[in-house]
Amino acid sequence: MVAFDPTTFMNVLLIAISGTLVCIAVHFIPVGGAPAAMAQATGIGTGTVELASGSGLVGLITASFMYSIPEVQARPDAMALVLAAGAMGSMIMIASTMLSGSLIYAYGVGVPFASAQVKKDPITGAVQDLYMSKGTQGQGLPTICYVSGIIGAALGGIGGALIYFVLVGIYAKSALIGGSAAAVAGVFTMGVFYVNAVVPSYGVGGTIEGFHDPKFRRVLPKDAFTSFVVSILCGILAVLIGGGF
Amino acid sequence: MVLDLTMSMAILAFMGALATIAGCLEDLESDVGSQSNPNSQVQLAPQMNFLHRIYNKAVSGEPVSNGLSAVIGGTAAMVLLDAKFFPLTAIGLGALVGALVYGIYATTSYAGRVASQSRFKQPLYMDIMRYTTPSIIAHNFIVCFCLVALAYIQSQILVPAHPFSIPFLALIWGISVGAIGSSVGDVHYGGEREFQNREFGCGLNTALSGRIVRKAESGLRNSIDNVWFCAKYGGPVTGIALGLTVFLSSWPTTIFGYTWIAIGVGIAIVLVMLILNRLIEVQVKNAYGPYKEEKNEKEAAA
Repeated sequence: MVAFDPTTFMNVLLIAISGTLVCIAVHFIPVGGAPAAMAQATGIGTGTVELASGSGLVGLITASFMYSIPEVQARPDAMALVLAAGAMGSMIMIASTMLSGSLIYAYGVGVPFASAQVKKDPITGAVQDLYMSKGTQGQGLPTICYVSGIIGAALGGIGGALIYFVLVGIYAKSALIGGSAAAVAGVFTMGVFYVNAVVPSYGVGGTIEGFHDPKFRRVLPKDAFTSFVVSILCGILAVLIGGGF
Repeated sequence: MVLDLTMSMAILAFMGALATIAGCLEDLESDVGSQSNPNSQVQLAPQMNFLHRIYNKAVSGEPVSNGLSAVIGGTAAMVLLDAKFFPLTAIGLGALVGALVYGIYATTSYAGRVASQSRFKQPLYMDIMRYTTPSIIAHNFIVCFCLVALAYIQSQILVPAHPFSIPFLALIWGISVGAIGSSVGDVHYGGEREFQNREFGCGLNTALSGRIVRKAESGLRNSIDNVWFCAKYGGPVTGIALGLTVFLSSWPTTIFGYTWIAIGVGIAIVLVMLILNRLIEVQVKNAYGPYKEEKNEKEAAA
Protein backbone atom coordinates (compact mmCIF):
# COMPACT_ATOMS: atom_id res chain seq x y z
CA MET A 1 0.00 0.00 0.00
CA VAL A 2 1.43 3.33 -1.03
CA ALA A 3 0.91 6.07 1.51
CA PHE A 4 1.58 9.64 0.32
CA ASP A 5 3.08 11.22 3.38
CA PRO A 6 4.00 14.92 3.04
CA THR A 7 7.05 14.40 5.27
CA THR A 8 8.34 11.72 2.92
CA PHE A 9 7.95 14.04 -0.06
CA MET A 10 9.74 16.76 1.85
CA ASN A 11 12.59 14.33 2.53
CA VAL A 12 12.83 13.37 -1.14
CA LEU A 13 12.84 17.05 -2.05
CA LEU A 14 15.58 17.78 0.47
CA ILE A 15 17.72 14.99 -1.00
CA ALA A 16 17.11 16.44 -4.48
CA ILE A 17 18.17 19.90 -3.26
CA SER A 18 21.24 18.41 -1.57
CA GLY A 19 22.23 16.58 -4.73
CA THR A 20 21.85 19.79 -6.72
CA LEU A 21 24.02 21.60 -4.17
CA VAL A 22 26.73 18.97 -4.64
CA CYS A 23 26.47 19.41 -8.41
CA ILE A 24 26.79 23.21 -8.11
CA ALA A 25 29.71 22.73 -5.72
CA VAL A 26 31.66 20.72 -8.30
CA HIS A 27 31.52 23.69 -10.69
CA PHE A 28 33.13 25.94 -8.09
CA ILE A 29 36.10 23.68 -7.43
CA PRO A 30 39.03 24.62 -9.68
CA VAL A 31 40.15 21.34 -11.22
CA GLY A 32 42.62 21.13 -14.06
CA GLY A 33 42.66 17.36 -14.51
CA ALA A 34 45.73 15.74 -16.08
CA PRO A 35 46.99 19.03 -17.65
CA ALA A 36 47.12 20.69 -14.23
CA ALA A 37 49.12 17.75 -12.87
CA MET A 38 51.76 18.71 -15.47
CA ALA A 39 51.33 22.45 -14.68
CA GLN A 40 49.70 22.97 -18.08
CA ALA A 41 46.39 24.31 -16.75
CA THR A 42 45.17 26.38 -13.81
CA GLY A 43 43.64 24.53 -10.89
CA ILE A 44 44.17 21.42 -8.83
CA GLY A 45 45.84 18.59 -10.70
CA THR A 46 43.11 16.01 -10.41
CA GLY A 47 39.64 15.15 -11.65
CA THR A 48 36.35 16.77 -10.65
CA VAL A 49 34.82 13.63 -9.20
CA GLU A 50 37.93 12.66 -7.24
CA LEU A 51 38.40 15.96 -5.48
CA ALA A 52 34.73 16.80 -4.92
CA SER A 53 34.07 13.39 -3.43
CA GLY A 54 37.26 13.47 -1.37
CA SER A 55 36.36 16.78 0.23
CA GLY A 56 32.67 15.98 0.54
CA LEU A 57 33.40 12.73 2.36
CA VAL A 58 35.61 14.48 4.92
CA GLY A 59 32.59 16.76 5.42
CA LEU A 60 30.47 13.63 5.86
CA ILE A 61 32.80 12.39 8.62
CA THR A 62 32.60 15.69 10.54
CA ALA A 63 28.84 16.06 9.98
CA SER A 64 28.02 12.50 11.05
CA PHE A 65 30.20 12.89 14.13
CA MET A 66 28.41 16.11 15.02
CA TYR A 67 25.03 14.42 14.53
CA SER A 68 26.00 11.50 16.79
CA ILE A 69 26.40 13.79 19.83
CA PRO A 70 23.18 13.58 21.93
CA GLU A 71 23.45 17.23 23.10
CA VAL A 72 23.56 18.36 19.48
CA GLN A 73 20.48 16.32 18.58
CA ALA A 74 18.62 17.94 21.46
CA ARG A 75 19.36 21.46 20.23
CA PRO A 76 16.73 23.33 18.20
CA ASP A 77 19.38 24.32 15.64
CA ALA A 78 20.75 20.75 15.30
CA MET A 79 20.23 20.65 11.55
CA ALA A 80 22.08 23.92 10.94
CA LEU A 81 24.94 22.82 13.19
CA VAL A 82 25.31 19.46 11.39
CA LEU A 83 25.29 21.18 7.98
CA ALA A 84 27.86 23.73 9.19
CA ALA A 85 30.07 20.89 10.50
CA GLY A 86 29.90 19.24 7.07
CA ALA A 87 30.84 22.52 5.39
CA MET A 88 33.70 23.06 7.84
CA GLY A 89 35.21 19.59 7.26
CA SER A 90 34.98 19.95 3.48
CA MET A 91 36.45 23.45 3.50
CA ILE A 92 39.39 22.44 5.70
CA MET A 93 40.16 19.46 3.45
CA ILE A 94 40.10 21.50 0.27
CA ALA A 95 41.91 24.48 1.80
CA SER A 96 44.80 22.32 3.05
CA THR A 97 44.92 20.43 -0.26
CA MET A 98 45.04 23.64 -2.31
CA LEU A 99 47.61 25.21 0.02
CA SER A 100 49.85 22.14 -0.23
CA GLY A 101 49.30 22.03 -3.99
CA SER A 102 50.40 25.68 -4.14
CA LEU A 103 53.59 24.76 -2.26
CA ILE A 104 54.34 22.16 -4.94
CA TYR A 105 53.58 24.53 -7.84
CA ALA A 106 55.60 27.31 -6.23
CA TYR A 107 58.70 25.49 -5.01
CA GLY A 108 58.58 22.02 -6.58
CA VAL A 109 57.71 22.97 -10.17
CA GLY A 110 58.70 26.64 -9.97
CA VAL A 111 55.79 28.26 -11.79
CA PRO A 112 54.04 31.54 -10.85
CA PHE A 113 50.26 31.22 -10.43
CA ALA A 114 48.23 32.45 -13.38
CA SER A 115 44.65 32.13 -14.53
CA ALA A 116 44.00 31.72 -18.27
CA GLN A 117 40.40 32.95 -18.02
CA VAL A 118 40.90 36.46 -16.62
CA LYS A 119 43.56 39.10 -17.31
CA LYS A 120 43.37 40.39 -13.75
CA ASP A 121 42.36 38.53 -10.62
CA PRO A 122 38.91 39.98 -9.69
CA ILE A 123 39.74 39.75 -5.97
CA THR A 124 43.37 40.88 -5.74
CA GLY A 125 43.68 42.75 -9.04
CA ALA A 126 46.92 40.87 -9.77
CA VAL A 127 47.94 40.62 -13.43
CA GLN A 128 47.55 37.08 -14.78
CA ASP A 129 48.39 36.91 -18.50
CA LEU A 130 52.03 38.02 -18.13
CA TYR A 131 52.71 35.09 -15.83
CA MET A 132 51.21 32.47 -18.10
CA SER A 133 53.79 30.16 -19.58
CA LYS A 134 53.83 29.64 -23.34
CA GLY A 135 51.78 26.71 -24.61
CA THR A 136 49.80 26.29 -21.40
CA GLN A 137 46.36 27.21 -20.08
CA GLY A 138 47.76 28.86 -16.95
CA GLN A 139 49.14 27.14 -13.88
CA GLY A 140 48.90 27.05 -10.09
CA LEU A 141 46.15 28.37 -7.87
CA PRO A 142 45.59 32.13 -7.98
CA THR A 143 43.49 33.66 -5.18
CA ILE A 144 40.28 33.73 -7.24
CA CYS A 145 40.53 29.95 -7.80
CA TYR A 146 41.29 29.37 -4.12
CA VAL A 147 38.22 31.34 -3.02
CA SER A 148 36.06 29.55 -5.56
CA GLY A 149 37.32 26.19 -4.30
CA ILE A 150 36.46 27.04 -0.72
CA ILE A 151 32.93 28.13 -1.71
CA GLY A 152 32.53 24.88 -3.66
CA ALA A 153 33.72 22.79 -0.73
CA ALA A 154 31.30 24.58 1.61
CA LEU A 155 28.37 23.89 -0.72
CA GLY A 156 29.46 20.27 -1.20
CA GLY A 157 29.86 19.76 2.52
CA ILE A 158 26.42 21.23 3.21
CA GLY A 159 24.89 19.07 0.46
CA GLY A 160 26.49 15.87 1.76
CA ALA A 161 25.59 16.65 5.37
CA LEU A 162 21.97 17.41 4.41
CA ILE A 163 21.62 14.08 2.61
CA TYR A 164 23.02 12.30 5.69
CA PHE A 165 20.83 14.30 8.08
CA VAL A 166 17.68 13.45 6.14
CA LEU A 167 18.52 9.79 5.61
CA VAL A 168 19.66 9.00 9.14
CA GLY A 169 16.38 10.51 10.37
CA ILE A 170 14.38 8.23 8.04
CA TYR A 171 16.39 5.08 8.67
CA ALA A 172 16.44 5.47 12.47
CA LYS A 173 12.65 4.97 12.41
CA SER A 174 12.82 2.05 9.98
CA ALA A 175 11.99 -1.41 11.32
CA LEU A 176 14.18 -2.95 8.62
CA ILE A 177 17.46 -1.09 9.05
CA GLY A 178 16.95 0.98 12.19
CA GLY A 179 19.79 -0.80 13.97
CA SER A 180 22.38 0.35 11.48
CA ALA A 181 20.85 3.66 10.42
CA ALA A 182 24.12 5.64 10.51
CA ALA A 183 25.98 3.08 8.39
CA VAL A 184 23.29 2.77 5.71
CA ALA A 185 22.77 6.55 5.63
CA GLY A 186 26.52 7.07 5.30
CA VAL A 187 26.88 4.61 2.43
CA PHE A 188 23.85 6.02 0.62
CA THR A 189 25.10 9.58 1.11
CA MET A 190 28.37 8.54 -0.49
CA GLY A 191 26.43 7.07 -3.41
CA VAL A 192 24.32 10.21 -3.95
CA PHE A 193 27.50 12.29 -3.66
CA TYR A 194 29.27 10.29 -6.34
CA VAL A 195 26.26 10.42 -8.69
CA ASN A 196 26.11 14.19 -8.39
CA ALA A 197 29.86 14.57 -8.76
CA VAL A 198 29.83 12.53 -11.97
CA VAL A 199 26.87 14.33 -13.61
CA PRO A 200 28.59 17.76 -13.83
CA SER A 201 31.90 16.24 -14.95
CA TYR A 202 30.33 15.77 -18.41
CA GLY A 203 29.58 19.48 -18.62
CA VAL A 204 32.85 20.56 -17.03
CA GLY A 205 34.76 18.33 -19.45
CA GLY A 206 37.86 17.85 -17.33
CA THR A 207 38.87 21.41 -16.46
CA ILE A 208 37.20 24.42 -14.88
CA GLU A 209 38.80 27.31 -13.02
CA GLY A 210 35.86 28.25 -10.81
CA PHE A 211 33.01 30.73 -10.85
CA HIS A 212 34.96 33.22 -12.98
CA ASP A 213 35.37 30.69 -15.80
CA PRO A 214 32.93 31.36 -18.71
CA LYS A 215 32.26 27.62 -18.75
CA PHE A 216 30.69 28.00 -15.28
CA ARG A 217 27.74 30.04 -16.54
CA ARG A 218 27.43 28.02 -19.71
CA VAL A 219 27.09 24.56 -18.21
CA LEU A 220 25.78 25.16 -14.68
CA PRO A 221 22.02 25.49 -15.41
CA LYS A 222 21.84 22.28 -17.46
CA ASP A 223 23.96 20.32 -15.02
CA ALA A 224 22.00 21.58 -12.01
CA PHE A 225 18.69 20.62 -13.62
CA THR A 226 20.01 17.16 -14.52
CA SER A 227 21.29 16.66 -11.00
CA PHE A 228 17.96 17.71 -9.53
CA VAL A 229 16.11 15.10 -11.59
CA VAL A 230 18.67 12.39 -10.87
CA SER A 231 18.66 13.24 -7.16
CA ILE A 232 14.87 12.93 -6.99
CA LEU A 233 15.26 9.37 -8.25
CA CYS A 234 18.01 8.79 -5.68
CA GLY A 235 15.75 10.22 -2.98
CA ILE A 236 12.86 7.92 -3.91
CA LEU A 237 15.25 4.96 -3.86
CA ALA A 238 16.65 6.05 -0.50
CA VAL A 239 13.18 6.17 1.03
CA LEU A 240 12.27 2.79 -0.47
CA ILE A 241 15.36 1.19 1.09
CA GLY A 242 14.09 2.16 4.52
CA GLY A 243 10.70 0.61 3.74
CA GLY A 244 9.03 4.01 3.16
CA PHE A 245 6.15 5.05 0.84
CA MET B 1 35.94 5.99 29.96
CA VAL B 2 35.78 9.75 29.42
CA LEU B 3 38.84 11.28 27.84
CA ASP B 4 40.10 14.50 29.35
CA LEU B 5 41.27 17.33 27.12
CA THR B 6 44.95 16.39 27.29
CA MET B 7 44.25 12.79 26.34
CA SER B 8 41.89 13.88 23.55
CA MET B 9 44.56 16.19 22.16
CA ALA B 10 47.17 13.43 22.40
CA ILE B 11 44.94 11.04 20.44
CA LEU B 12 44.18 13.76 17.92
CA ALA B 13 47.90 14.46 17.47
CA PHE B 14 48.51 10.74 17.00
CA MET B 15 45.75 10.63 14.37
CA GLY B 16 47.38 13.59 12.62
CA ALA B 17 50.74 11.79 12.66
CA LEU B 18 49.20 8.62 11.24
CA ALA B 19 47.50 10.65 8.52
CA THR B 20 50.76 12.45 7.69
CA ILE B 21 52.56 9.13 7.20
CA ALA B 22 49.65 7.74 5.18
CA GLY B 23 49.51 10.82 2.92
CA CYS B 24 53.25 10.81 2.32
CA LEU B 25 53.43 7.09 1.55
CA GLU B 26 50.33 7.21 -0.64
CA ASP B 27 51.94 9.79 -2.87
CA LEU B 28 55.18 7.85 -3.02
CA GLU B 29 53.29 4.67 -3.85
CA SER B 30 51.59 6.47 -6.75
CA ASP B 31 55.06 7.61 -7.92
CA VAL B 32 56.74 4.23 -7.67
CA GLY B 33 53.84 2.59 -9.46
CA SER B 34 53.12 5.60 -11.68
CA GLN B 35 49.43 6.17 -11.22
CA SER B 36 46.88 8.91 -11.75
CA ASN B 37 47.26 11.94 -14.01
CA PRO B 38 51.06 11.96 -14.56
CA ASN B 39 50.78 8.37 -15.75
CA SER B 40 49.06 9.73 -18.87
CA GLN B 41 52.54 10.86 -19.97
CA VAL B 42 54.06 7.45 -19.21
CA GLN B 43 51.23 5.90 -21.22
CA LEU B 44 51.68 8.37 -24.06
CA ALA B 45 55.48 8.13 -24.28
CA PRO B 46 55.72 4.93 -26.40
CA GLN B 47 53.36 6.49 -28.94
CA MET B 48 55.91 9.31 -29.32
CA ASN B 49 58.69 6.71 -29.79
CA PHE B 50 59.88 7.24 -26.23
CA LEU B 51 60.20 3.67 -24.98
CA HIS B 52 60.87 3.58 -21.24
CA ARG B 53 61.52 1.38 -18.18
CA ILE B 54 58.91 3.02 -15.92
CA TYR B 55 56.24 0.94 -14.16
CA ASN B 56 52.87 1.72 -15.67
CA LYS B 57 50.05 0.73 -13.38
CA ALA B 58 46.96 2.82 -13.13
CA VAL B 59 44.54 0.49 -11.40
CA SER B 60 42.03 3.34 -11.40
CA GLY B 61 41.95 6.88 -10.07
CA GLU B 62 43.96 7.10 -6.87
CA PRO B 63 40.95 7.66 -4.56
CA VAL B 64 39.16 4.54 -5.76
CA SER B 65 42.21 2.25 -5.67
CA ASN B 66 43.28 3.45 -2.22
CA GLY B 67 39.69 3.28 -0.99
CA LEU B 68 39.59 -0.32 -2.23
CA SER B 69 42.73 -1.45 -0.43
CA ALA B 70 41.77 0.45 2.74
CA VAL B 71 38.27 -1.02 2.89
CA ILE B 72 39.65 -4.54 2.31
CA GLY B 73 42.19 -3.92 5.09
CA GLY B 74 39.49 -2.50 7.36
CA THR B 75 37.14 -5.42 6.75
CA ALA B 76 39.88 -8.01 7.40
CA ALA B 77 40.91 -6.16 10.56
CA MET B 78 37.28 -6.06 11.74
CA VAL B 79 36.94 -9.82 11.25
CA LEU B 80 40.14 -10.43 13.21
CA LEU B 81 39.04 -8.06 15.98
CA ASP B 82 35.81 -10.03 16.27
CA ALA B 83 37.95 -13.17 16.61
CA LYS B 84 39.58 -11.55 19.67
CA PHE B 85 42.92 -10.74 18.03
CA PHE B 86 44.99 -7.93 19.58
CA PRO B 87 44.11 -4.65 17.84
CA LEU B 88 47.66 -4.06 16.56
CA THR B 89 47.90 -7.59 15.14
CA ALA B 90 44.45 -7.33 13.59
CA ILE B 91 45.24 -3.96 11.97
CA GLY B 92 48.63 -5.23 10.73
CA LEU B 93 47.22 -8.42 9.23
CA GLY B 94 44.26 -6.54 7.76
CA ALA B 95 46.59 -4.02 6.13
CA LEU B 96 48.68 -6.87 4.73
CA VAL B 97 45.61 -8.42 3.09
CA GLY B 98 44.63 -5.04 1.59
CA ALA B 99 48.17 -4.44 0.31
CA LEU B 100 48.45 -7.91 -1.25
CA VAL B 101 45.18 -7.46 -3.13
CA TYR B 102 46.47 -4.08 -4.26
CA GLY B 103 49.68 -5.77 -5.47
CA ILE B 104 47.62 -8.18 -7.58
CA TYR B 105 45.82 -5.26 -9.21
CA ALA B 106 49.16 -3.48 -9.80
CA THR B 107 50.68 -6.52 -11.50
CA THR B 108 47.73 -7.20 -13.76
CA SER B 109 47.30 -3.55 -14.71
CA TYR B 110 51.02 -3.17 -15.54
CA ALA B 111 50.97 -6.30 -17.70
CA GLY B 112 47.67 -5.29 -19.30
CA ARG B 113 48.70 -1.74 -20.06
CA VAL B 114 52.02 -2.68 -21.60
CA ALA B 115 50.40 -5.49 -23.59
CA SER B 116 47.96 -2.96 -25.05
CA GLN B 117 50.96 -0.94 -26.27
CA SER B 118 52.65 -3.77 -28.16
CA ARG B 119 52.03 -2.02 -31.48
CA PHE B 120 54.30 0.80 -30.25
CA LYS B 121 57.04 -1.75 -29.41
CA GLN B 122 56.97 -0.99 -25.66
CA PRO B 123 58.50 -4.05 -23.93
CA LEU B 124 57.27 -5.53 -20.67
CA TYR B 125 60.39 -5.63 -18.47
CA MET B 126 60.18 -8.56 -16.10
CA ASP B 127 62.96 -7.21 -13.86
CA ILE B 128 60.97 -3.98 -13.40
CA MET B 129 57.91 -5.99 -12.46
CA ARG B 130 59.91 -8.19 -10.07
CA TYR B 131 61.48 -5.46 -7.99
CA THR B 132 58.95 -2.63 -8.31
CA THR B 133 55.82 -4.61 -7.38
CA PRO B 134 57.06 -5.49 -3.85
CA SER B 135 57.88 -1.82 -3.37
CA ILE B 136 54.31 -0.89 -4.36
CA ILE B 137 52.91 -3.47 -1.94
CA ALA B 138 55.20 -2.22 0.84
CA HIS B 139 54.17 1.41 0.33
CA ASN B 140 50.50 0.46 0.21
CA PHE B 141 50.85 -1.68 3.34
CA ILE B 142 52.00 1.35 5.34
CA VAL B 143 49.20 3.49 3.89
CA CYS B 144 46.63 0.81 4.65
CA PHE B 145 48.00 0.24 8.16
CA CYS B 146 47.82 3.95 9.01
CA LEU B 147 44.31 4.37 7.58
CA VAL B 148 42.88 1.29 9.31
CA ALA B 149 44.55 2.40 12.55
CA LEU B 150 43.00 5.85 12.08
CA ALA B 151 39.59 4.28 11.53
CA TYR B 152 40.08 2.03 14.57
CA ILE B 153 40.91 5.01 16.78
CA GLN B 154 37.89 6.97 15.56
CA SER B 155 35.54 4.04 15.89
CA GLN B 156 36.80 2.33 19.07
CA ILE B 157 39.00 4.64 21.16
CA LEU B 158 37.56 8.15 20.77
CA VAL B 159 34.87 9.11 23.26
CA PRO B 160 32.26 9.73 21.95
CA ALA B 161 32.99 7.17 19.22
CA HIS B 162 32.34 7.87 15.57
CA PRO B 163 29.05 6.28 14.40
CA PHE B 164 30.63 4.72 11.27
CA SER B 165 32.26 1.30 11.32
CA ILE B 166 36.01 0.66 10.80
CA PRO B 167 35.74 -0.49 7.14
CA PHE B 168 33.56 2.49 6.18
CA LEU B 169 35.85 5.01 7.88
CA ALA B 170 38.85 3.32 6.23
CA LEU B 171 37.08 3.59 2.88
CA ILE B 172 36.41 7.31 3.35
CA TRP B 173 39.98 8.03 4.45
CA GLY B 174 41.27 5.90 1.56
CA ILE B 175 39.25 7.99 -0.89
CA SER B 176 40.43 11.21 0.77
CA VAL B 177 44.10 10.21 0.83
CA GLY B 178 43.85 9.32 -2.86
CA ALA B 179 42.19 12.65 -3.69
CA ILE B 180 44.88 14.57 -1.81
CA GLY B 181 47.75 12.52 -3.21
CA SER B 182 46.40 12.98 -6.70
CA SER B 183 46.01 16.75 -6.18
CA VAL B 184 49.26 17.55 -4.41
CA GLY B 185 52.20 15.17 -4.74
CA ASP B 186 51.47 14.05 -8.27
CA VAL B 187 52.20 17.56 -9.54
CA HIS B 188 55.78 17.13 -8.35
CA TYR B 189 56.04 13.88 -10.29
CA GLY B 190 54.17 15.02 -13.40
CA GLY B 191 55.19 18.68 -13.55
CA GLU B 192 58.82 18.30 -12.56
CA ARG B 193 60.28 14.78 -12.42
CA GLU B 194 58.87 13.52 -15.73
CA PHE B 195 60.16 16.60 -17.57
CA GLN B 196 63.30 17.31 -15.62
CA ASN B 197 65.38 17.99 -18.73
CA ARG B 198 63.52 21.31 -19.25
CA GLU B 199 64.55 24.51 -17.56
CA PHE B 200 63.19 24.71 -13.98
CA GLY B 201 60.00 26.77 -13.85
CA CYS B 202 59.61 27.03 -17.64
CA GLY B 203 56.08 25.66 -17.51
CA LEU B 204 55.36 22.62 -19.59
CA ASN B 205 54.35 23.35 -23.16
CA THR B 206 51.54 21.06 -24.30
CA ALA B 207 53.63 20.17 -27.36
CA LEU B 208 56.05 18.33 -25.05
CA SER B 209 53.41 15.86 -23.93
CA GLY B 210 54.70 12.29 -23.83
CA ARG B 211 58.35 13.31 -24.18
CA ILE B 212 59.32 12.16 -20.70
CA VAL B 213 62.86 11.90 -19.35
CA ARG B 214 64.18 8.35 -19.68
CA LYS B 215 67.74 8.73 -18.45
CA ALA B 216 68.49 8.60 -14.75
CA GLU B 217 71.26 10.07 -12.64
CA SER B 218 72.98 6.79 -13.47
CA GLY B 219 71.78 4.50 -16.25
CA LEU B 220 68.19 4.28 -17.46
CA ARG B 221 65.47 5.77 -15.30
CA ASN B 222 62.95 3.54 -13.62
CA SER B 223 60.19 4.08 -11.06
CA ILE B 224 62.53 3.57 -8.09
CA ASP B 225 64.49 6.61 -9.31
CA ASN B 226 61.25 8.58 -9.48
CA VAL B 227 60.21 7.77 -5.95
CA TRP B 228 63.71 8.67 -4.70
CA PHE B 229 63.25 12.15 -6.14
CA CYS B 230 59.61 12.68 -5.11
CA ALA B 231 60.34 11.53 -1.54
CA LYS B 232 62.30 14.75 -1.09
CA TYR B 233 59.35 17.10 -1.53
CA GLY B 234 56.14 15.85 -3.16
CA GLY B 235 55.56 13.02 -0.68
CA PRO B 236 56.13 14.99 2.53
CA VAL B 237 53.95 17.89 1.35
CA THR B 238 51.14 15.46 0.55
CA GLY B 239 51.54 14.01 4.03
CA ILE B 240 51.24 17.47 5.54
CA ALA B 241 48.05 18.06 3.54
CA LEU B 242 46.32 14.93 4.88
CA GLY B 243 47.74 15.44 8.37
CA LEU B 244 46.35 18.98 8.42
CA THR B 245 42.99 17.75 7.12
CA VAL B 246 42.63 15.08 9.82
CA PHE B 247 43.99 17.25 12.62
CA LEU B 248 42.27 20.53 11.81
CA SER B 249 38.89 19.02 10.94
CA SER B 250 38.65 17.59 14.48
CA TRP B 251 40.67 20.10 16.49
CA PRO B 252 37.97 22.84 16.74
CA THR B 253 35.33 20.47 18.15
CA THR B 254 37.86 18.82 20.51
CA ILE B 255 38.80 22.17 22.03
CA PHE B 256 35.60 24.21 21.77
CA GLY B 257 33.01 21.43 21.97
CA TYR B 258 30.20 20.77 19.53
CA THR B 259 29.14 24.37 19.23
CA TRP B 260 29.01 27.26 16.79
CA ILE B 261 32.28 28.56 18.22
CA ALA B 262 34.04 25.44 16.89
CA ILE B 263 32.50 26.07 13.45
CA GLY B 264 33.70 29.69 13.59
CA VAL B 265 37.22 28.55 14.50
CA GLY B 266 37.14 26.11 11.57
CA ILE B 267 36.20 28.92 9.18
CA ALA B 268 38.97 31.09 10.67
CA ILE B 269 41.49 28.30 9.94
CA VAL B 270 40.33 28.26 6.32
CA LEU B 271 40.76 32.05 6.09
CA VAL B 272 44.30 31.77 7.48
CA MET B 273 45.10 29.20 4.80
CA LEU B 274 43.66 31.54 2.15
CA ILE B 275 46.00 34.30 3.34
CA LEU B 276 48.96 31.87 3.31
CA ASN B 277 48.13 30.91 -0.28
CA ARG B 278 48.05 34.58 -1.26
CA LEU B 279 51.43 35.13 0.40
CA ILE B 280 52.92 32.22 -1.56
CA GLU B 281 51.40 33.62 -4.78
CA VAL B 282 52.93 37.06 -4.20
CA GLN B 283 56.28 35.65 -3.12
CA VAL B 284 56.54 33.40 -6.17
CA LYS B 285 55.54 36.12 -8.63
CA ASN B 286 58.11 38.48 -7.13
CA ALA B 287 60.81 35.81 -7.10
CA TYR B 288 60.32 34.46 -10.62
CA GLY B 289 58.82 37.46 -12.45
CA PRO B 290 56.76 37.29 -15.65
CA TYR B 291 57.73 35.01 -18.54
CA LYS B 292 59.87 36.73 -21.17
CA GLU B 293 59.69 36.18 -24.90
CA GLU B 294 62.52 34.13 -26.26
CA LYS B 295 64.99 35.82 -28.63
CA ASN B 296 63.88 33.94 -31.76
CA GLU B 297 60.22 34.76 -30.95
CA LYS B 298 61.06 38.48 -30.80
CA GLU B 299 62.84 38.24 -34.14
CA ALA B 300 59.91 36.42 -35.68
CA ALA B 301 57.54 39.09 -34.37
CA ALA B 302 59.75 41.83 -35.81
